[in-house]
Amino acid sequence: MGKLRLQDLTRGGKIRIGLLALALILPFLPFVTDYVLHIAILVLLYMILSLGLNIVPGFNGLLDLGYVGFYGIGAYTSGLLTYHFGLSFWVIIPLAFINGAIWGILLGAPTLRLTGDYFAIVTFGFSELVVLLLTNEIWLTRGPLGLPGIDVVSIDLTLFGGPKWEFIGELPYYYLAIVMVLVTVFVMYRIQDSRLGRAWFAIRDDEVAAVSCGINLLAYKVIAFAISAAFGAVGGSFFARWVTFLSPDMFKFWESFLILCMIVLGGMGNIWGVMIGAVVLVSLSEVLREILPVLGLPVQVRFLAFGLIMVLMMRFRPAGIMPIPAVAAKMRAGRVKRKKVKPAVGIKK
Amino acid sequence: MTPILEIKKLFKSFGGLEALKDITFDIKRGEIIGLIGPNGAGKTTLFNCVAGIEKPTGGQIILTNGGRTTSIGGKKPEAVTGLGIARTFQNIRLFDNLTVIDNVKIGRHCRTRSIFFGAVVRNRFQRAEEKGITESAHQFLDFVGLKDRGEEIASSMPYGDQRRLEIARALATEPHLLMLDEPAAGMNPQESRDLMALIRRIRDKDITILLIEHDMKVVMGVCERVVVINHGEWLTEGEPQEVQNNPKVIEAYLGTGAANAA
Repeated sequence: MGKLRLQDLTRGGKIRIGLLALALILPFLPFVTDYVLHIAILVLLYMILSLGLNIVPGFNGLLDLGYVGFYGIGAYTSGLLTYHFGLSFWVIIPLAFINGAIWGILLGAPTLRLTGDYFAIVTFGFSELVVLLLTNEIWLTRGPLGLPGIDVVSIDLTLFGGPKWEFIGELPYYYLAIVMVLVTVFVMYRIQDSRLGRAWFAIRDDEVAAVSCGINLLAYKVIAFAISAAFGAVGGSFFARWVTFLSPDMFKFWESFLILCMIVLGGMGNIWGVMIGAVVLVSLSEVLREILPVLGLPVQVRFLAFGLIMVLMMRFRPAGIMPIPAVAAKMRAGRVKRKKVKPAVGIKK
Repeated sequence: MTPILEIKKLFKSFGGLEALKDITFDIKRGEIIGLIGPNGAGKTTLFNCVAGIEKPTGGQIILTNGGRTTSIGGKKPEAVTGLGIARTFQNIRLFDNLTVIDNVKIGRHCRTRSIFFGAVVRNRFQRAEEKGITESAHQFLDFVGLKDRGEEIASSMPYGDQRRLEIARALATEPHLLMLDEPAAGMNPQESRDLMALIRRIRDKDITILLIEHDMKVVMGVCERVVVINHGEWLTEGEPQEVQNNPKVIEAYLGTGAANAA
């Protein structure tokens, strides 16, 4: 390993380092209030969630409408473990990952035999089931009353005679979220460039050919679903310890749809595209929340705006803002030859 | 010597349609055998039954490989691939959005093991495995004549090259029996000649080849033995020349009048 010099980096590498540096100094910029920081954390949280969801539709080509179910399970598991047993966040994170994966396997193993729309319907049903469970199992979740008073994240070194440092305000959560996003992106990149990732891409592109290469479709789809669910649950446990209050209606179907929109908008299957999708939709949502009342419209109109954006995207750039390289190459070729390009990545029928 | 593949009294029906009726023939180790018949004769159905994509309704398919005899009728396709049977498809099925080299790397799937943990941690085992995958993928590309084309997107390649890539991907699974479904379809004469040379080179690597083909020049040029099926039934088998002149075969292809005229 030689010394790392700036001029040796590729253009992409420079952009990455620049963006990371910007993210790190963001809280100290003059216009950044607590509110802006809150939105920034929300963006980072949705990056984790959309990267996690991306595994299923983006890498495997399966439509998953129930992702928020895993998010909810993760959040409530984290909340309850903290509430009742006072478990540390650092213990909860790996537990949440495993717990999410288990639920992913439990739901995926019987249902991933279904194809296309049928699978999507089952996942949709699952997320509704989770909300109903959280609402009605009052002995466990306090139901619609919500779960208040969840401890904040803290770094406790009292065991070693050190200090105990509690995360108060938005700043520590912001950096915690950045670390979590970095870890997620790292894992995604490693998977993308591995035997596991290639097997998923094979399933996405052609199931019959994938099987002929010796790929066990069900097993690899279940693995995909489990890992996706695990990241959803990790996102959920961060959410629980950040807002310190949970209620069942935070995990309605709308959230699944929003995360799916981020993926489609950003570029299904592309790690960077998906993160861009999260930035665009979360910030747009907040901007609209401010602007709409000024225009004399109810806040709910922003759902209509999202719908409009999706329609326009499907019409003019169906592969997303930043498609996967092969689709981007086809689009460039298509532009030269003036041919219409179909989106190569989509949901299997 | 025991044949590598024995097909015994194979039946396959789709509802009321009997696609295969009582098919029996052997494939000897190391031969290039052609499977011919008019359109709709059941050639591809037979392929699918051997490859595990379709479940036969009756009969047996027995693979003898490395001293082990396995009945593969009704086994899952990924298991069949693992046992050493690879195939290509009539209408090319590549992983369109992936690079050429990744297509071949996916062929290595059944001979490698790393999953999630290896992918994330990149331990010594995974790194060695990945290195092996990359090296052998390049060798297979080189073998079919696609050297230095690894970074192209599979679907952007010309048709003939896509056929070659499909063969490279099938070879990457280290098969003992390679089944090619109309590999010369849509090729020009020069490409067909190259393909025939490639098929012979594959056989020289001790891989048995079963070939479905409509291009008679290719069948006559490369096959050592030909099995003819018609309407899902075994019609005849033998050396290419004798099959070509067999009145029953001419009748199957051209009708009764033609057979009488010959």
